[in-house]
Amino acid sequence: MLTSTYRIIKFAFQNFWRNIWLSVITISMLVLTLLTINILLVLNRVTDQAISFVENRIEVSVYFNENADPAKVTDALTYLRTLPQVKDVQEIYADDALVAFKQRHAGDQAILSSLDELGKNPFGPTLIIKAHSAKDFDAIIAALDNPRFRDAIRQKDFSDYQSIVSKIRQTTDEIRTGGIVLSAIFFLIALLIIFNTVRVAIFIHREEIGIMRLVGASSNFIRMPFLVETIILSLLSILIVIAIVYPTLAFIEPKFNQYFGSGTTGLVSYFEQHGLLIFGAQFLALLVVTMGSTALAMRKHLKV
Amino acid sequence: MIHFKNVSKFYPPDVIGLDTVNLRVEPGEFISIVGQSGTGKSTLAKLLFAEERPSKGTVEIGGWDITKISPNDVPLLRRQIGVVFQDFKLLQKKTVYENVAFALQVAGIPSVRVREVVPRVLSIVGLDDKSHRFPQQLSGGEQQRVAIARALVHQPKILVADEPTGNLDTLNSRDILELLKKINEFGTTVVLVTHDHEIVNRLKRRVITLDGGKIVSDVEEGRYKL
Ligand SMILES: Nc1ncnc2c1ncn2[C@@H]1O[C@H](COP(=O)(O)OP(=O)(O)OP(=O)(O)O)[C@@H](O)[C@H]1O
Ligand SMILES: [Mg+2]
Repeated sequence: MLTSTYRIIKFAFQNFWRNIWLSVITISMLVLTLLTINILLVLNRVTDQAISFVENRIEVSVYFNENADPAKVTDALTYLRTLPQVKDVQEIYADDALVAFKQRHAGDQAILSSLDELGKNPFGPTLIIKAHSAKDFDAIIAALDNPRFRDAIRQKDFSDYQSIVSKIRQTTDEIRTGGIVLSAIFFLIALLIIFNTVRVAIFIHREEIGIMRLVGASSNFIRMPFLVETIILSLLSILIVIAIVYPTLAFIEPKFNQYFGSGTTGLVSYFEQHGLLIFGAQFLALLVVTMGSTALAMRKHLKV
Repeated sequence: MIHFKNVSKFYPPDVIGLDTVNLRVEPGEFISIVGQSGTGKSTLAKLLFAEERPSKGTVEIGGWDITKISPNDVPLLRRQIGVVFQDFKLLQKKTVYENVAFALQVAGIPSVRVREVVPRVLSIVGLDDKSHRFPQQLSGGEQQRVAIARALVHQPKILVADEPTGNLDTLNSRDILELLKKINEFGTTVVLVTHDHEIVNRLKRRVITLDGGKIVSDVEEGRYKL
């Protein structure tokens, strides 16, 4: 039994080496498939980061009337802070709002002079609300209709954000669906490639297989080397992918970080922390697919 | 040793390979099967090592009814029957030694035993000095001797040779024939399928003639007459 196991593994390695180009092509295709899946994973992660990046920057500005009762503003502020959807509320006093406005339009003499003509601060206090997630804005805006301070509010500036958020959400959903479809297609391609590799291997070895059968090799002994070879191919593919993914991530992560400003995408540390799970799952899925199609190819082409 | 009872073999759609063949071969016999092309000689040989199943009738080998042998049992049968063909069926990428050892390895025989058996059968066929050559570096007769050595590794009760001299010149053919006789003298039943008049006439052994899938003559110490 041990002797046979050893010989099966040896034959598998022989198959691998003797048809090294076939092996190289198969591994290349498997690596490409796995790389695409990993690119999708990274993309998914970066999209998540991008959304939270945008979400972090989405705010609802609530402008109060210039003569609004400060108590009402404080009331609104405390009330908003009790809402679970609200991450942060910042109050900008009327004077600060004026200063900020002047700063923003420092180069625009027309605006500044008309502000001077007005003679008084046209701004009321402003609350700037940040939510935990873009989804929460609807609830926050509904909460602002509270009669306790509704009348003091001049304007809620949120409509643009809503469309941005829904657009991001839509795009993300599309990317996810596309990613899932792509992964499925690639797995199908991997299946076909392995099927074909085994078919070709059986064709190349038909003479040897015929001789094995003639001299009384059991069908297990004939089949096992193909399965073992499939395991070798899958294992090498995943190892190559790992060897490509980590350095690439380390290379691109600073560029992403630059784009997102201060925030870090944490790609490398994400892959480091979940590497075993990510690549373990990929290897298992790969094995299921490759062994399945090997078995299929043998059933169709290996009559033993 | 071999017992065919009313054996017929039809190939789809309507080709008759063998037609109601009755045949009994005793242990230690050396029989030749002759006949024109397409008369069912190879079909008869294939039924012996379960490469084909009979359409009708029963085939027994050493008391074992292999008429409906299961695919799992075929390897067991093949380890008791050596087979040799016109085209040698050697692996070109393996040496003489490796080709012979292969038959033992695929049967799960331990390496210690392989190292024992291979030199022994190679010396029986007289190739102990060429064990590290590749098939291309051998003459046709030598290649056929490698194939015979490989057929002998399991000490088979029966050796089936389908036109083993078909690709060989007269001298090499005679060598192979002498080798088969020697193997027969050790006690192995030999079934030789051949076209070769000279061989049959030299043998002076039992000759079975097939025509249209039927046995048309079966004579002790026969001569090739067609
Ligand atoms: N696998 C097959 N499928 C269909 N017909 C077959 C098959 N094998 C053999 N035959 C037919 O069965 C008949 C007997 O074939 P067989 O190979 O036994 O002849 P043979 O006597 O060995 O001929 P040869 O001397 O040319 O080798 C022939 O008519 C052949 O065409
Ligand atoms: Mg024939």
